[in-house]
Amino acid sequence: MAEKVIATMEENPPKVNKWDGNALKNALDDAVKDVLLSRFSYVESHRLLDGRLLISSIAVGFSLFALLWDWLYPFPQSRMVMCVCVVAYFIMMGVLTWYTTYLERGIFCTALNKDVAGIDPDDVWNASSSLKRFDNKYHLCLSQKTGKTGKAKEARTVLTVENFFDETGRLLYGSVVKEVLRLHSDVEHKKN
Amino acid sequence: MLQLHFLDDLRRMNIRQLFYQVLNFAMIVSSALMIWKGLMVVTGSESPIVVVLSGSMEPAFHRGDLLFLTNYDHEPIRAGEIVVFKVEGRDIPIVHRVLKVHEKEDGTVKFLTKGDNNNVDDRGLYANGQAWLSRKDVVGRARGFVPYIGIVTIIMNDYPKFKYAVLAGLGVFVLIHRE
Repeated sequence: MAEKVIATMEENPPKVNKWDGNALKNALDDAVKDVLLSRFSYVESHRLLDGRLLISSIAVGFSLFALLWDWLYPFPQSRMVMCVCVVAYFIMMGVLTWYTTYLERGIFCTALNKDVAGIDPDDVWNASSSLKRFDNKYHLCLSQKTGKTGKAKEARTVLTVENFFDETGRLLYGSVVKEVLRLHSDVEHKKN
Repeated sequence: MLQLHFLDDLRRMNIRQLFYQVLNFAMIVSSALMIWKGLMVVTGSESPIVVVLSGSMEPAFHRGDLLFLTNYDHEPIRAGEIVVFKVEGRDIPIVHRVLKVHEKEDGTVKFLTKGDNNNVDDRGLYANGQAWLSRKDVVGRARGFVPYIGIVTIIMNDYPKFKYAVLAGLGVFVLIHRE
């Protein structure tokens, strides 16, 4: 049998450039997501990202259409179509900004806790994070919305990034696991 | 072994994230394109911003000046104005001053142009047998200019390899750089 090539994140934690805040955040996000999906029997839901993909695709669709139309019917003729495409494109850009600011709000992972009986709606877990530029404080928020009651509760923590990477920039997966599990139980034990 | 750690970020992404990465690149290009098309609609000119490529309009415009054009139908062409026009068989539009205008009652015009710094008018530049320009040849009229900025475009056009290298570099950076 072929050897398993893809190592899990736990076996092979990512190594990043320690001075690149973006890379640190991505690595931590990926690790938190990995913990949520591997330690619990949750199923990842891609709905939020799919929504963003749809909005962007429509926007790019308008610009491609404008490009094609202008090529088929050179400018003075294509004026009306150009006008519509330009306006529609910038509206879509506005929608995209609204979507990322008010709906996604930094959520990088949505995990569903499927109801075993398949009767009640799933519990929804959301993980969101933020790391300010040139800052070392990684803000992590874990929230749970119970499918049955629709009640939401959440727990937040602030992690100092240098505690989660060794001097070579390799992610300390174990430390992330510890934090995520702690945060997860904080949420679960919170009274509504 | 070569350690390509900057690709690790990409390697960890799933198919949706990779697709978004491509879309993100497409949106950057699209935004530039749509601003350009928007300017076309607003100014009525098929090329609202042009770069002066020659010294034929000195001392008004120098090589590398950026010109902003409009091309509204209701504005008549008058002698003394600076117009940008296309000539059949030439890829690059020309920026010159209107020297003579003949206008008919129905509004059709034919006109002759000349570069301020040239000794002769433009008849030699026009297509074979063409003595006058008409409305349809006009790309726009100069409305404003920014000096020197366009020199970047000139350098890019003079050294196409440099241009493609810069564009490819930027493209790759956007594609592999995770937001």
